Amino acid sequence: METVAVLLAVLLAVAAVAFVARPFLAEPEPEDDRIGSLTPAEQERLRLLERRDRALGALKELEFDHRTGKIADADYEASVGPLRREAAEAMRALEPQTASVPEPVEKVDAPA
Amino acid sequence: MPGLGSAALVVAFGLVLYAALAGGYAAYRGRRRLLDSATNALYASFASVLLAALVLLAALARHDFTFSYVASHTSHELPLGYTLASFWSGQEGSLLLWLLVLTGIGSAAVALNRRLIRTVLPWTVPILGAIASFFALLLVFVASPFATQVAPADGAGMNPSLQNPYMLAHPPLLYLGYVGLTIPFAFAMGALASGRADERWIIATRRWTLASWTFLGFAILLGAKWAYEEVGWGGWYAWDPVENAALMPWLVATAYLHSVMVQEKKNMLRVWNAVLVAGAFCLSLFGTFLTRSGVINSIHSFTQSSIGAWFLGFIAVVAGASTALILYRLPLLRSRTRLESLISREAAFLYNNLFLVAFALTVLWGVIYPLVSEAVRGVAVTVGAPYYDFFGIAFGLPLVLLMGIGPLIAWRRASLRALGRSLLWPAGTAVIVGILLLLGGAGSSPAGLVGYTFASFVLAAIVLEFVRGTRARHALGDGSWFASFTSLVGRNRRRYGGYVVHAAIVLLLVGAVGIGGFGTTREAKLAQGQSLQVGDYTLTYLGSQQERAANSQELRARLAVSRGGDDLGTVLAGKNRYFAEQQTSNEVAIRSDWLRAEDLFVIADQFNPDGSVFVKALVNPLVNLIWLAGLLFVAGSLITLWPDAREQRRLARRFAEEGALARA
Amino acid sequence: MARRRSPARLVIALSVAAALAIFLVYTALAGGTPSLRPSQVAGHDGRVSVAGKVVGQPSGAARSPDGLRFTIRDVEGSATLPVVYRGSVPDLFRTGRDVSVEGSLRNGVFVADKLVTKCPSKYTNKPA
Repeated sequence: METVAVLLAVLLAVAAVAFVARPFLAEPEPEDDRIGSLTPAEQERLRLLERRDRALGALKELEFDHRTGKIADADYEASVGPLRREAAEAMRALEPQTASVPEPVEKVDAPA
Repeated sequence: MPGLGSAALVVAFGLVLYAALAGGYAAYRGRRRLLDSATNALYASFASVLLAALVLLAALARHDFTFSYVASHTSHELPLGYTLASFWSGQEGSLLLWLLVLTGIGSAAVALNRRLIRTVLPWTVPILGAIASFFALLLVFVASPFATQVAPADGAGMNPSLQNPYMLAHPPLLYLGYVGLTIPFAFAMGALASGRADERWIIATRRWTLASWTFLGFAILLGAKWAYEEVGWGGWYAWDPVENAALMPWLVATAYLHSVMVQEKKNMLRVWNAVLVAGAFCLSLFGTFLTRSGVINSIHSFTQSSIGAWFLGFIAVVAGASTALILYRLPLLRSRTRLESLISREAAFLYNNLFLVAFALTVLWGVIYPLVSEAVRGVAVTVGAPYYDFFGIAFGLPLVLLMGIGPLIAWRRASLRALGRSLLWPAGTAVIVGILLLLGGAGSSPAGLVGYTFASFVLAAIVLEFVRGTRARHALGDGSWFASFTSLVGRNRRRYGGYVVHAAIVLLLVGAVGIGGFGTTREAKLAQGQSLQVGDYTLTYLGSQQERAANSQELRARLAVSRGGDDLGTVLAGKNRYFAEQQTSNEVAIRSDWLRAEDLFVIADQFNPDGSVFVKALVNPLVNLIWLAGLLFVAGSLITLWPDAREQRRLARRFAEEGALARA
Repeated sequence: MARRRSPARLVIALSVAAALAIFLVYTALAGGTPSLRPSQVAGHDGRVSVAGKVVGQPSGAARSPDGLRFTIRDVEGSATLPVVYRGSVPDLFRTGRDVSVEGSLRNGVFVADKLVTKCPSKYTNKPA
């Protein structure tokens, strides 16, 4: 019984070491060993993407709340303008070529 | 075979230590292959711990009493199910379960987010490795499940209170909850350490956090049901430190789940969220510490087992390191968005957080105050239910109210008029219900009456939400009302799943208030043929009987139940006497009336030599709503958790847009 | 964007202050029932709660006129106190358990009407 246990334990240790060493064994001379990290430009782009998504999400939620009667017409009119501007700004910052803001479709959806 | 188990644990310890150290170096220096190697070490550690777990399971199944653990927690007569479940009924086994779950879901979370980790969250791997190293260290050097001894003739057996089906489910579910909170913690701290200010780690860990929180909440309720049926004093929650140990992280995790929504949508509360997630994790470690260190009995018994000291040390290290990291990254976290109005959904979330955290701190204070008092003043005190009830009501009632108002209020700045209009129907319903209840006699418990009024307010608000949403959806297309309803929920899972969860919490409160504020208790000594009146029920003692089960002698009193002249059958209440453990346990009789959602709870306290029996009977109104709430809670969470194809597509599009960011 | 004084900070500060005040007042006035050790009971006349470890063999029955008789000892010490208890006996009660009883001292015997067993630490290294 004990020899089986010892054998299994040795097998386990060897397998573990092999698995841990695999990345080095698979690529003994890699051309690039750096962890992909973001340049400041890429970080800024990511920030803008999130800002755009947030603005679009807020817009969709405003539409949804208005559709379901939670926000009065007056409040909707007051809020939708600034939110659309914000979304447009965010998209413009990302893609200077984009000319117009897409018409928010009156879908009964809240963002995920 | 114990040698194999020990060896597997040693290998696991080496692997997670490597994952922590090598992973840390790799993250610091930006070395890809080393990070991959550390990640592999984490995966391999799971395999190793799994092997150790299987060794222990096999030993339990074989009743191998050369394992000290098996000998001290099982016996020959113990049924197989409980024998296997004793894996987690003892110190060493439960630590092994912790490590197994940790390496398992840690590996899964890392594997599923490979790309994210490789590019922006390398520190997550060493953090997971470090946490796992602590538990592996304990298992190898302090509390090994594989200690051996000369096999005794029979084992010591299992505490009779643990011998019931709940023992099979409660601890594993609880651990899935506790350990699950490690994932958002590791990812959040990983993001901070890597200097990330973006939200992708939140999106990546959202479902993990939600799932862990659900497991934890459900496990707490399962524990309560266990206490209700097995400990059998008539109540369902005793504010015992062991119970509070799981409640505290759950409360903080609830606060975190809410405020992280504000961070996603408004990019606010980032520092607060970092503090909350670290707090939730530290509390889950603290909870694990409380239930095993013996410190709650007396501050002196703390020194009997060194495990307590290890845990406290580790919690201090985790808390200190998290605080340092948050302070270091404070400039990064500080958001530029400010709270615009005190009447807005952001503000409502903030209030919700304040109340939840305040309540969690209250419970924490209640748990440690006796220890503090004894250490400082030398006077031991006990903090009882009145303390918790007071603050439970003080913080709970506003929280219930917020559950109703929050979803109805707009972001940024809500106009009071619009809010008033939204609240009109629910508030009106609540007032009517309140008056009806008052007329029905609910005024006997003022807090209960207010609680019920608020509860009906929230439930009405939730129903209104569903109605308005379905109506709006129906107006768009021509499906049936049912199709509109299902597509509404299907397309807005987070929102409507959340409403279902809110409804479940409200239901839970209704049940808790029912049993807490409106119950009845009666006790009497009954000779054969005599009756006892409790509430609407009449109990008549018919006689007693004895029976021998696998490992116990069962003594029961048979009582006839009737209500208003209707015969409702008989109930059996009594005691079990366990041979191996030399202990007696109460076996209460619970007769659930599903129509009225109430329980008739019968305890046979004492069997006298002259044939009479001492009976204590309670009527617990609405208690079954608590268990129903548990099921509804899980259902709501499932709706929220369910994979959403449209959301996945949107996220995939977003990741593709990040273009070069998605390399590797 | 000009940074305005955020109302949020004020709200948070006030809430924290209020909460702290409530805690301090509550615990100072009503928080916790003093829990004595068997060695400290002598001389206390009123209603108190005593915590200790059950030693020896309990006798009698809690629902009988004579009650359940047992002895509790200082958890860390040797002072003992005889107890007579009438009421429901919780499951976990047995010799060696830490219990808390509430009642008053009469003629050297502690007459109790409340008995609570602490949830035993399932994980002690010693057998239950």
